[in-house]
Amino acid sequence: MSTFLINVGIGLATAAILALSAVAFTLEYAVSRVANFAHGELLTIGAYAAYSGQAIFHQNIAAAALIAAAAGALAGLGLNAGLIEQFRGRSAITVFIATLGASLVLQNSLLIIYGAANVTYTFSQGSLHHVGPFLWTTSDLRVIGSALLIAGLLYALLQRTRFGKAVRAISEDRALAQVSGIPARRVVMQAWGLAGALAGFAGFALAETIGTFGPSLGFSFLLLTITASVAGGIGRPYATLGGAVVVGLAVELAGAYTSSAYQNVYGFGLLVVLMLALPNGIFVRRSAVAVRA
Amino acid sequence: MADGRAAAPATAGPQPAPLLAIENLAKSFGGVTAVRGCTFTVAEGTVVGLIGPNGAGKSTVVDLVSGFGRPDAGRISFAGREIAGPARWGSRRVKTMRPDRIARLGIIRTFQNPREWPQLTVLQNVLLARCAFGHESLWRTLTRARRIRREEAEDLAVARQILDRYQLGDLADVRAGTLSGGQKRLLEFARIAAAGPRLVILDEPMGGVNPVLGGRIGDAIRQFAADGHTVIVVEHNLPFIERICDEVIVMDVGEVIAQGSFDGLRGNPRVVDAYLGMDLSHG
Amino acid sequence: MMYWVSVVTEAGIFAILALGLDMVWGWCGDFDLAFYGYLALGSYMTMVLTIGKPVPPTQYILGLSLPYPLAVVLADIAVVAFAAIIGAVTLRNLREIYFAVTTLSAVSALYLFVQVYTPLFDGYNGLFGLVNPGQAALNLTYNGYRTFFMAVVLGLLGLAYLLVQRVSGSPFGRMLRAVRDDEQAARAYGRGIFFAKYRAYLFGAALAGLAGGLLAVFISAFNTSAWAPQELLLIYAAILVGGRGNPRGVIIGVFVVYVAFVELTRFLPFGDAMRQILIGLLIILMLRFRPEGIFAERPGGARAGGARAGGARAGRTGNQVGEVADPAAARAAGTKAAGT
Repeated sequence: MSTFLINVGIGLATAAILALSAVAFTLEYAVSRVANFAHGELLTIGAYAAYSGQAIFHQNIAAAALIAAAAGALAGLGLNAGLIEQFRGRSAITVFIATLGASLVLQNSLLIIYGAANVTYTFSQGSLHHVGPFLWTTSDLRVIGSALLIAGLLYALLQRTRFGKAVRAISEDRALAQVSGIPARRVVMQAWGLAGALAGFAGFALAETIGTFGPSLGFSFLLLTITASVAGGIGRPYATLGGAVVVGLAVELAGAYTSSAYQNVYGFGLLVVLMLALPNGIFVRRSAVAVRA
Repeated sequence: MADGRAAAPATAGPQPAPLLAIENLAKSFGGVTAVRGCTFTVAEGTVVGLIGPNGAGKSTVVDLVSGFGRPDAGRISFAGREIAGPARWGSRRVKTMRPDRIARLGIIRTFQNPREWPQLTVLQNVLLARCAFGHESLWRTLTRARRIRREEAEDLAVARQILDRYQLGDLADVRAGTLSGGQKRLLEFARIAAAGPRLVILDEPMGGVNPVLGGRIGDAIRQFAADGHTVIVVEHNLPFIERICDEVIVMDVGEVIAQGSFDGLRGNPRVVDAYLGMDLSHG
Repeated sequence: MMYWVSVVTEAGIFAILALGLDMVWGWCGDFDLAFYGYLALGSYMTMVLTIGKPVPPTQYILGLSLPYPLAVVLADIAVVAFAAIIGAVTLRNLREIYFAVTTLSAVSALYLFVQVYTPLFDGYNGLFGLVNPGQAALNLTYNGYRTFFMAVVLGLLGLAYLLVQRVSGSPFGRMLRAVRDDEQAARAYGRGIFFAKYRAYLFGAALAGLAGGLLAVFISAFNTSAWAPQELLLIYAAILVGGRGNPRGVIIGVFVVYVAFVELTRFLPFGDAMRQILIGLLIILMLRFRPEGIFAERPGGARAGGARAGGARAGRTGNQVGEVADPAAARAAGTKAAGT
C-alpha cells in the first residue's frame, strides 16, 4: 500500500508540472483558438534559460525560476506576434501545422546553441521528506507548492481582474469582445506572455525534477500536456488542473506497475483513448455539445 | 392549386400510404426545445409547403428527416421504412439512419445557403449528383479506368441535357464556386434533377432570389412534381407557397398547428395568431 | 556520379511516399502524422521476411528468407492491414486537429514500443543485412546494382503516378474532391464520408508500405533512428511546395525540396539541425504566402477567383488551403476521357 501511495506521490509531483504546462496550453488555446504545437519549446526555452542563468546565479533557485519564466514569457510573446497573429483568420489546422514548423525551428535552434548532448543543473534535489503517506524530495515539494500557489494566483487573476475578464471574453468571442471595447490584440499578447511564463517555469521545474535534459525536453512533454488538456476539457483552465492530476497519476502508476520504459507509451495510448472516447474531457456533463466533426 | 392535383377526393377508396410520415417528433438543443410533438404526413406526388414564423422548428424538422440530426423522441417513416424510431427494447433513445443512407433511400435536401462543390466544375457537380455509385469503386478505378470512362458517357449526356434545361449549359466547365448566387440556386435544382429522388426537401429556396429567378424556381418545383417527385418546401415567401403548393403545413413553437390547403389557413385563428396578423390574403 | 544515383533513388522513394500521403492530405484533407509509421512497418516487414532467422542476441519476429519482390508485396499487405485498423478507428469521427494529434500519439506510441519491445524488431538496434538482393543473380557490380535499383524505383514511381492520375480523373477522385470541399453536401447526396476516405487512406498506406520496402534495400538496414515521426514533415513540406492534390506537383516538390536540402545542408555546419530548421521555415512560409503550392497549376477556364471561393468555404470544412488539381487537369483529362 505504501509503495502505491509513494507512486501516487510521484504522480502528483508530475501532475503539478503537467498542470502548469497544461494550463498554459489551454490559455493559448482559449485566446487564440490554436493548438500550439510549439508549446513544448516554450518549456525547453525556459529550462535552457535557467541553465544559462546558473552561470550567473549559481545555486539561487528562485533566480533560476524567474529567468526561466521571463524567457518563456518573451518566447510566448515572440511566438504570438511572429506566428500566431500572422495566421489569424486561417483555419485551425493550418495554424496548427505552422506551429509544427515553428517547433522544428525552435527545437533545432536550441540544439545548435546548446548542443545535442544533455545538460544538467547543479541544484541539489534536497533530502527526502515524509509528508503523510507520501515521500517527496525538497525539490518535489517546491514544485508542488509553487504549482498550488500559481494555480491560486491564476484563479484570482482570471476571476477578479479586468485582465481576466477580458481573457474570458475574448475566449468566448474575440470579435464581440473587441466591439465591446476590449483591446483584444493587447490582451491576447499579454495572455501569451503569461502562458509563456507559466510554460517556462514548468520547463524549469521539469528539467530540475528529471535532472538532465536536452533540446527535446518540452516536445516529449507536449503530448502529455495535450492529454491533460483534453482530459480536462479543452479551453477550461480549472478542469485542466483536474485533468493533469488524472493523467499524471495514471501515467505514473501504469509505468510503476508494468515497466517504466513504457510510461510514455501509456501516455500516448491514453491520449488516443481520450480523443476517441471522451474528446470533451472527463469532467463534462452529457449535455455538452460535441467538439469534433 | 387550381390544377386539380389537390388531395385525393374524400369519397375515393382507401388512400395510398403517405410517402413520409412523422409522428411525435421532438428535439431540444441544450435547454431549448426546437421541436415537440410534431406530427404530419406527406402524400406522394404532392408539393407540400412547410411554413411558420422564425424559430418554429421548420429547419430542425428538415434536419431530422434528412438525418442531419438525431431526434430525442418520435418516429419518421419514409416509403414504408422507418428511418428514425425508438431503439430496440423500448429504450428512450431514438435510433436514426445516417444522412447518406437516407439520401440513398431517396430523400435529397438542400440547405439554406446553396452548397455547391466549389472546386468542381458545374458539370462535375451535376455528374456527382447522378449518384452513379458503381463508378466510384476504387479498385475498378485502378484497374479498369477506361471502362468506367466509357460507362460514364451516358451519364455525361444526361447531365448536359439537364444543364441545358436550367440554362447552365454554357457554364459546364466553370468552377462552381465562381457562379453567381442565382446561378448557384439553379445548379442546385440541376443537381436535384440529376439525382431524381423520390422526395425533395427544399430549405428556403427563395432566399435572396429575384422575382424572375423566383418564377423559374417555382416552375422547376412544379415540374418536379409533374415528373412524379414529391416536394417539401420550407419557405417564408407566402405568395410563392400559395402558388406552387398543393398543401401547407404550419408550424409554430415546435409544433404543427395546422395542415391543409392554403385557403383554409386564412380562417384558422392559430395560424393567424402565429403570424401576428401578417397579411395572408395575397393572391 | 554514384552520389547522384543515391540522391535520386532516395528522392524517388520519398516521392512514392508523398503520393500516398497526398492521397490522405491533398485529396481527403486529413493531416495524418502517423504516415511514416506505415513506411517504417513496410521496411521492417520486408526485412524480417528476407534476412532469415535471427542470430542471437539479435531478435525479431518471423525471420524468413523469401525472395525480395515477394517480401515487398507481403509486407505491403501487412501495412495495409495495419492501416485498415488505424484508419477504421481514427477516420470515423476525428477531424482536423483531433485527427492529427491522435495519429501522432498512435505513431509515437508505436515508435516507443518498437524501441523498447525488442522481440519485435530488435528495439534500438534494428535490423540489417538486406544488401542488394539479387545482385549476384543479375550479374551486376555493386554500383551497377545501385543504378539498376534506381531505375526500379523510378519505374515504380511512374506506376504509382499513373495510378494516382487514374484516381484523379475518375468518378472516385471527383467524389473525394467533393467530400473535401463540402462534406455535408456530399452526405446529402448519398456519399458515405468514412467509406470514401477509408479507401483512399488504404491506397495511400499501400504506397507508403511500398516505399518502405524499397527504403529497406536502399539503406540495407532499418532501425528507429531512421524513422522518427518528425521525418514526415519533410514530406509535408514537399507536398506544400508542389501543391496538394496535384500528383505531378507533389513529385516535383519532393525532388526539388529533397535535393535542395541535401545539397544545401551538405555545406552548412550543424547540417542536420539546419535541415530541420529550414524545413520548419519552409512549412511556415509556404502556408503563409503560397498555400496552394509553387507548382500548382492555375485554374485555366475559371478565374483565379476559384481560389478565393475556396477560401470562402474554409469556414465550412476547415480546409482552407485553396489548392487542388483543378479544372486544367480535369479538362485535359476530360478531352481524353469525355469529361469527368
